[in-house]
Order: sequence, then structure tokens, then C-alpha cells
Amino acid sequence: MSENTGKNLNNNDSLKRINEELFRKLQLAYFSVDSKMKVCDASKNLVNYGFPELKKGQSVEDKIDFMIGMDADTELELPVVSSPSGIPVSVNLMPSNDKLTVLISNAERSTEQHRMLQQAANENELLAEKQKKLMARLEQASKELEDKNQQLEEAARLQTSFISGVSHEFRTPLTSIIGYTNLVQQDLSKMSEEIAPRIVKQDNEQYLNAVQRSSKHLLSLVENLLDHGKLDSEEIVVNPKKTNLDELFNDVSLLLSPLSETKNIELNVNLDAPKGVDVVIDDSRLRQCLINLVGNAIKFTDIGSVNLDAKLDGDELNVVVRDSGIGIGREEMEKIRLPFYQVADTGKVGTGLGLTITERIVSLMGGSLSIESQLGEGTSVHLTMPAPKIEREIFSAEMGALPTVSKLKVLVAEDDSFIADLVVVMLQEKGIDVTCVANGALAVEMLQTKSFDLVLMDIHMPIMGGYQAIEKLNQLGNSAPIVVMSASATESDQERAAQLGCAAYLVKPVDVEEIISIAHTVTSPQQ
Amino acid sequence: MVGDFSVGKTSLTQKFVNNVFSDKYLTTIGVKIDTVEVDDTKLIIWDVAGRDSLSPVNVSYLVGAAGVVLVADGTRPSTVENLFDIWSSVEKRIGDVPCVVALNKADLSDGWSVSEETVNSLHDRGWEIFKTSAKQGDEVGTLFETLARKIND
Repeated sequence: MSENTGKNLNNNDSLKRINEELFRKLQLAYFSVDSKMKVCDASKNLVNYGFPELKKGQSVEDKIDFMIGMDADTELELPVVSSPSGIPVSVNLMPSNDKLTVLISNAERSTEQHRMLQQAANENELLAEKQKKLMARLEQASKELEDKNQQLEEAARLQTSFISGVSHEFRTPLTSIIGYTNLVQQDLSKMSEEIAPRIVKQDNEQYLNAVQRSSKHLLSLVENLLDHGKLDSEEIVVNPKKTNLDELFNDVSLLLSPLSETKNIELNVNLDAPKGVDVVIDDSRLRQCLINLVGNAIKFTDIGSVNLDAKLDGDELNVVVRDSGIGIGREEMEKIRLPFYQVADTGKVGTGLGLTITERIVSLMGGSLSIESQLGEGTSVHLTMPAPKIEREIFSAEMGALPTVSKLKVLVAEDDSFIADLVVVMLQEKGIDVTCVANGALAVEMLQTKSFDLVLMDIHMPIMGGYQAIEKLNQLGNSAPIVVMSASATESDQERAAQLGCAAYLVKPVDVEEIISIAHTVTSPQQ
Repeated sequence: MVGDFSVGKTSLTQKFVNNVFSDKYLTTIGVKIDTVEVDDTKLIIWDVAGRDSLSPVNVSYLVGAAGVVLVADGTRPSTVENLFDIWSSVEKRIGDVPCVVALNKADLSDGWSVSEETVNSLHDRGWEIFKTSAKQGDEVGTLFETLARKIND
């Protein structure tokens, strides 16, 4: 053996060792196949990756699955393949000289890092997709909710409009019923014993009282429905003005005493307020609230008393309506403020709106309402509202004296013949000279030929309505004060009448005394 | 098995090969290879890592494939729409091989959001469509058996 040959052998040996060391460190395995995919050579460490031991001449496709379908001349890199052992490997197919060498290396470390990053990225993307989906659903739900709200608002508006319309339509016939009943009651009281025997007279008075009470009850139901509708559509506006509380509480007492007397219940009204002082408050709304609360108290009390105690404390009015009635159970307490709710098994009827309306009006007036009650022991309703004090103006007897109305000439424009006849009779009884026409056009025509001290004008009339007639009369320079007399109680109608310069606005059913009072005011020389 | 990530390629394969299912999502890196006999045909199933917005399907894994299962998630419409792009890459690399479509996760009926229009456009490509559920096993066997038959035809 020559020296060179020895060196070469040494070099080959060391190269082989280096190769082996490199294969060991990189955990490289390999095999090579010929053009017919028969094994030419293979490393023993293939088994470390779960591959079977390959023997020369074997078909590689029978032994290694990923080689099925491969060509011997295809160069290919499969970065990560899960080997039969589960260890991820990188596979490189390298064709050369009719042979295909396949190198397999361990890709476990890089794959694990890649897997963690990919897993996090994919989960994030899935989360983003879910969020997007949820947002879309949320938007859809929000849109549906908005649509539903609009539908509900529209339904509420239609309901309010329907209630207002129906209430308005009820007023006109009720005006007739109450007015004519009044007239018949008056006539009956004037009848002599010969014309109407006492027993018949008593019976008839009783029947008429029943008609009157029922009509007034029906009217209050209609008023409640109308107010509820107006509160819903925010049509009710509070108009605070100078108010004499003594008179107001006296009115309430006078108005409700007959009701308490019929039930043999004591009604006590007490006002503790400094003398000679008025307050700034919406008197009609306060009166309405007190009538509702005291009326309710009387309704639900069969034995004992109802007390209305009020105290003007600084610029605040505190009212307590206390009764010894049936009281309210704890379960019912939360529900009684709901509109249309009525406590079951009481045998009392109504709309279930009185308390709701009162509470909403009190709130509009800047006040609050609270209820204390125990079943079987009565109820106390506490009401507090601002009532700024103001000094009362003193009128002399002369200044306050009302001129006589007996010589007044009044024109009534009213298309409903029942109402027209009623108003004519009522005014004529007071000695007033009344002329009646059936529409606005006739009223205009009449006022051009004859002078009147006062015009009572209905709004909804055929041919020419009230507003149109007033506009026409304004253009013609009419000087007679015009008072609107309508079944419509809406704020917008009242505002329009004021804009047209009308002296007053009366809501049907109107009382003759109310007309007379207005007539005094608008025709007095001081005006 | 190709398709977007998390559409259920591994779940379908595991259900068919080993009759197992797991709700836990574990992303596939590279390719997993499984073998199964279908009516005297040996199917070597290459379960290729899913496509995501940043990485397309690695078409090297498709070399030598005799057929393709396109997999989409029926609750994620974008994964169904993406099948057309995926197929373009497949066809470009290995040609017009037999193909079946799995609209997977059919058990999630509440979230199912594949429109009839999309299904029609898949049909128009001449692909047979299977509403599969790897969870419940619905249509899984039929899916692979149909592909095996198409490859043998």
C-alpha cells in the first residue's frame, strides 16, 4: 500500500465519519430509488421515524405511503410531513442520474413553533369572524328593534288619535243629555202640585237624578280617556296662574260633598294657608287631581271618613287625602299606577285611569305623589307640588260687580240642532236675546246685517267651519267678541282660537253659568 | 383534503379512518397522511394544512394526487366561496382530477349559511356536493367512497 493510498483511505474514512456525525446530529435519514421506484440504498435510521426498514430491490411504493404517485424525476420539497412515528419531518426529493434520492430530516422543533403561531393566528381569525357575525346580528337586532319601536309608536299614536276622536264624538251627545236633563229638572221643580202630583214629581226627580249622575259619570270617563290620550301625545301643557286656594278647596268640597253624602261618609276638607295670599299654580289641573284623588277615596270607602288636608309650606303645597276605606294589598300596590288597571273583586267600576292621570299631571306640574296603604285599614295619598306664593289683589265691591246680561244680544253658530236648541233655551231663560244659525257662513252673513254683543261659535260645522268664519269676520273688521264652543279639547285647537283673537274657549258640555260668566267678562266695559 | 383552515378536514379524515371526533380545534401544519381501504381501493389521504388569509394552499403537497376533496364550513360562507380559488390552484398544479365537495358542520343547523345560489354555482362546476358532519358522521363515508369510485372510473 503506497503512502498516498494510505492518506486517501484516511481522508475517505474521516469524510465518512464527518458525514455520519452530520447525519446523526441532524437526524437525517435517506433512501434512494431507481427509475422503477425500486430501492437502491437506504439509511438504517429510517426506522427512527416509523418507516419500515428498506431493502435493496424493494418497491418503495409498497413500503412508504407518501411515495405513491411520485415520479423518479420530480424534484420536490415537502416542508412538513407527519411521519408514521408522529414526528414531523421535512422531505426532499432530489432526482439525479436516473436515481431519486429522498432526504428526510427532523422538523419537530420548527414545526412546533409554527404550530403555536398558526394556532393562535387561526383562533384569532375565527374569533374575528365570530365577532363580525355577532356585530351583524346585533345590527340586525337593533334595526328590527328600531322598526318595532316605530311600529309601536305608530300604534300608540293611532290609539291616542282613536281615543281622542271617540272622546270628542261622545261630548256632543253628552252635552245634550246633561243640558236637557238640567232643563227638565228645573221645569219639574217649577211645576205646581196640580200639574204634577208630589209622588210623581219625586219619582221623576229620582229618575232624572239617575240620568244626570250616569251622564256625568260617563262624561268623567270620557274626560279621563281624553286626558290619557293627551298625556301620551304630550298635548297637555301646564299653565300656572294666580290662584285662590281657599276658593279652589271650597269648590272641591262643594263638588264632592253630595257624593260622600250619598254614601253616608264624612268628608273633611282643611286648608292651612296664610290669609290674603294666592299661589301661582295651574288651578284647573290641581282641581282635577284633587277631584280624582278625593273621588277615588270616596269610591273605595264604605264606612268612616275621607279627609283632604292641605298645607301651604313656604312655596310648596302639601296635600294628603286619607280615607278609612278598603285599602290596597302589597301585590296590588305596584299595579295600581298602571293605566287601565283596576283592583279586582272591589265591585267598583271605572276606567282605571284616574290615578295614572293624576300622577302624570302632578309630575308635569313639577310635583310628586306617593301612596301608603294597608289592606282593610285605608289609604293615604301624599301629593307635593311647587306653589309660589303671591300677594292677593283686593277688589272693591264696585270693581267686582258684574254688569247685567239680560239685555245682551248673543249669536250662536251651532250645527247640532239639539245643542243649538239647548243653548238657546238656557240663555233665553237668563233673559238674553239669542239668535241661532247652523254654520259659519250664516254667522258671517248675520253679523254683517245685525250687531251682537257676543258670538258663540262651534268649530266643526258644514259649509263653513268656525275657524274659517272667524278669519272671515276678522277680515271684515268684526268687533263682537267671539267665544269658541267646541267638543274638541285639544291644546292645538285652543291655541288656534287664541291666535285668531277669540275672547275665550269653552269645551262642551258647557254649563249655562259658564257662558254667563264668560259673557260678563268679555262684554264688561273694562275689557 | 384541501380547504380553508378550521373547516374540518382533519375531523372528516379522522372520522372516516379511525371513527373518532374531537371538538377541540388543533391546526394542521404541513400534511398528515393516513391510509384506508375503500372497497379494495387503498386511499392514501393527504390531509393538507388549511389555507388562511396569509398563506395559500401549498400545492407541493398535491403532487401525485389522484383526486381531491374540497372542504368548506357551511357556517362560514367565505370558506365556501374560497373553494373556487383553491380549485384554481389545485387544477393549475395537478390538472382536472376527480373532485368532491364537503360542506361540513351540517350538525350546526342554526348557523348554517350556505345560500342556494352558492350551492348551484358549485353544482355548475360538475362537483358532487355532500353536506357532511364529522361530528355525527353524516355523509362522511359516502364522501370518500364517491371519490374512490370517481378515481377508479
